[in-house]
Amino acid sequence: MDELIKKLKVQLIEILNLSDVTPEDFDENAQLVGGDLGIDSIDVLEIVVMVEKEYGVVINNKEIAEKVFTSLASLAEFIVKSSPTSSS
Amino acid sequence: MSDQTKIIYIAGIGIISPLGCGADATEQTLRKDRSAIAPLNAKVFPIQQPPPLPVGQVTDLPDSPLPRTHRLTIAAAREAMSGYSCVPDAVIIGTTTGGILTTEELLIKEEKDSKKYRYHGLTTVAEELADAVNCTGPALTVSTACSSGAIAISMALKMLQSGEEEWILAGGADSLCRLTYFGFHSLQLVDPKGSRPLDANRAGMSVAEAAGLLLLSTIKPKNPLGQILGCGLSCDAYHPASPHPKGKGAFQAMRNAINDARSNARAVHYINLHGTGTPDNDLAESKAIRSLFATPPPLSSIKGATGHSLAASGAIEAIISSICIQKGFLPANTGCIEPDPELNLKPILVPSNQPVSVVLSNSFGFGGNNACLLIGKADTPPSPSPEPERLPGPFTILGKACITGAGHTKESMERFAKLESIAGTLDLDSISEQLPVRKIRRLKRFSRIALALVEAAKQDSGLKQSPHSVFMGSGWGALSDTYDFLNKLQNSNEKFSSPIDFVGSVHNSATGNIAILHDATGANVTCSGGDYSFEQALLAADNFLTDTAETAFVLAADETNEHYSPLFDPSIDANAPLADGGGAFYLTRKAIPGKPALELIFYQKQVENSVNKLITTLGKYSSQEEYHMILAGIPASDASDGEAQLDEFMKKTGLDIPVIHYRKFTGEFAAASSVAAVMATYLLEENIVEAGKKILVLGFGKNLTAMKFSKQTA
Repeated sequence: MDELIKKLKVQLIEILNLSDVTPEDFDENAQLVGGDLGIDSIDVLEIVVMVEKEYGVVINNKEIAEKVFTSLASLAEFIVKSSPTSSS
Repeated sequence: MSDQTKIIYIAGIGIISPLGCGADATEQTLRKDRSAIAPLNAKVFPIQQPPPLPVGQVTDLPDSPLPRTHRLTIAAAREAMSGYSCVPDAVIIGTTTGGILTTEELLIKEEKDSKKYRYHGLTTVAEELADAVNCTGPALTVSTACSSGAIAISMALKMLQSGEEEWILAGGADSLCRLTYFGFHSLQLVDPKGSRPLDANRAGMSVAEAAGLLLLSTIKPKNPLGQILGCGLSCDAYHPASPHPKGKGAFQAMRNAINDARSNARAVHYINLHGTGTPDNDLAESKAIRSLFATPPPLSSIKGATGHSLAASGAIEAIISSICIQKGFLPANTGCIEPDPELNLKPILVPSNQPVSVVLSNSFGFGGNNACLLIGKADTPPSPSPEPERLPGPFTILGKACITGAGHTKESMERFAKLESIAGTLDLDSISEQLPVRKIRRLKRFSRIALALVEAAKQDSGLKQSPHSVFMGSGWGALSDTYDFLNKLQNSNEKFSSPIDFVGSVHNSATGNIAILHDATGANVTCSGGDYSFEQALLAADNFLTDTAETAFVLAADETNEHYSPLFDPSIDANAPLADGGGAFYLTRKAIPGKPALELIFYQKQVENSVNKLITTLGKYSSQEEYHMILAGIPASDASDGEAQLDEFMKKTGLDIPVIHYRKFTGEFAAASSVAAVMATYLLEENIVEAGKKILVLGFGKNLTAMKFSKQTA
């Protein structure tokens, strides 16, 4: 999980061009959307595309999305839970 | 001569949409309350990841070598002009897609021949339209996303009210294409069941295609179809792709349209809603309506029948509004089964016959770009005008800025003063150095150039307050965003596309962002006129900024993209270094002695007699002795024609003053004339030009344009 969180931080910084944020600054438990980073609905959709492309995990339901995007940690948790490659 | 009480008649209408071809077919389909939304047909374009999404597509579009948007436009123009032998004095078209469907096909085939991309530019739609109706006046393009068509009609209204034009053909057109089909899907704004505006279970829009054109005139035709009573523009200045949650901008645009017509909300008999079917749009629009109308009049969105034809939607809905008035008929809110109680509106659920005199037609777009039209019966009496009439005059320049290969304004002008080249491409970090990092993180080169320009123009003005309105021109728009979007789409076999790139690719993305950063909630207009885009922005500002108290940013910018620029812009040599940048001004209508002033005094298509007309027009403004210098712009693609026009101009005027070919300094890019405008201002401000003398910035080639720069006297 820690590895995934680390990787997600790098990926989010890259796709959202958070050029003034380092992975060390990125608090995985902080509010992800509408928080200090200024992440909004368009960014969320960009993350949705990335998560599907990189992890094969589809997020297409508003209620689920709201929970998943609470924080980076909750996103990582959802990916682990839903990943087609995860142990099942 | 300005005359606010001039009546603007709808003389002809032309419409082609998923509902059918022509006004009669449109009316019949609306009366049946039938949705024309259906899965995308592979004949429009094939997709790699089935199933196809529901869209609004035009069937039986006549074949021709022109791209689909152009063909839709010509089809609508033929109907709008039928029965008329007049030649429009101007054409104004709203479009966001231009020839991109054809471009997408060429890119997929990896076509390298730049000639095949000649219809890519948005301006080519207006050019083909002008040719089809023999118009030699300005052929103008508005590209403000989904409000483009409504703003094109608004601009025609203002030009007819205040100018010398008598006939203008105006409207909007967009074809389906991969960019919008996959782009709106990536934003999760497409309803997989087809658009159901205002319904409790609505889940989005259906992307569509259409064209609508209105022949408008100050001369009463034999059988007028209605009147355009007023228009209202506004900008949310809130978010690039989502409406203001309380519908603040929508409210303002509706109120502006009603005020412009000197009418009142009670006089509105029917509202043709923007009503796209996305949860956010319909909610915001309902809030705006309930704020403005104590008891809303009958209302409906036709987008459940047509889909959302983007730039065309405002035009086809204005046409349908005029049909409603003529026929005493109100269309249903097709697709809405159970109105959403949260909206607290009562949409028309069954088409009905009832007399209608005044219709409010709403159009809202990306960038928070709003435009509303008030349309009335042909025999609506004119409202008395209590306000003093506007006299066309120059703009006072409060601040200026440019970006070139040499750097920002200071570096660029110092190099220019030494007669050294300023061509090139400034690196992105230097462009962005004065911009807030967090707020521009999603923005690419085009939007950053535009934002940096207005920021610098504001700093140059020394004013704390930003202007209320923004008018921008760009020949090619956001090329990097478009390239990134289409490239990712193609590389993933159409499985993945980037919502950020789609939002950034919209032609008016830069102006939307300017509005957000500067809280500019007034008119927000993006024009695209190839090498004359800055002049078109200036023309738009001239028509919409009517009050001496008003201020605006007027700018033009273009970015180069190594993949696209050499294919699209015929002036760019693929083997020569690229150049880009732009120029911006902070302008006011108020005269201020000692400050430089700028005025667009001529804009016409290049035809046999146009140099003579330019000379006659110049004569009306100043005597020849007053001119000190000419900055001449001849795009490389029109070098021989342009040189011949300049020669003819110099010979016929007998002017013996320096002529500077500014593109030799700026390099070749569509917005170069905006940099020339900054050069002219710099020469005046630095007193390099003799006191009392004026500078002309002339454009040659496909169009002939003239901007006059002078210092205002006490």
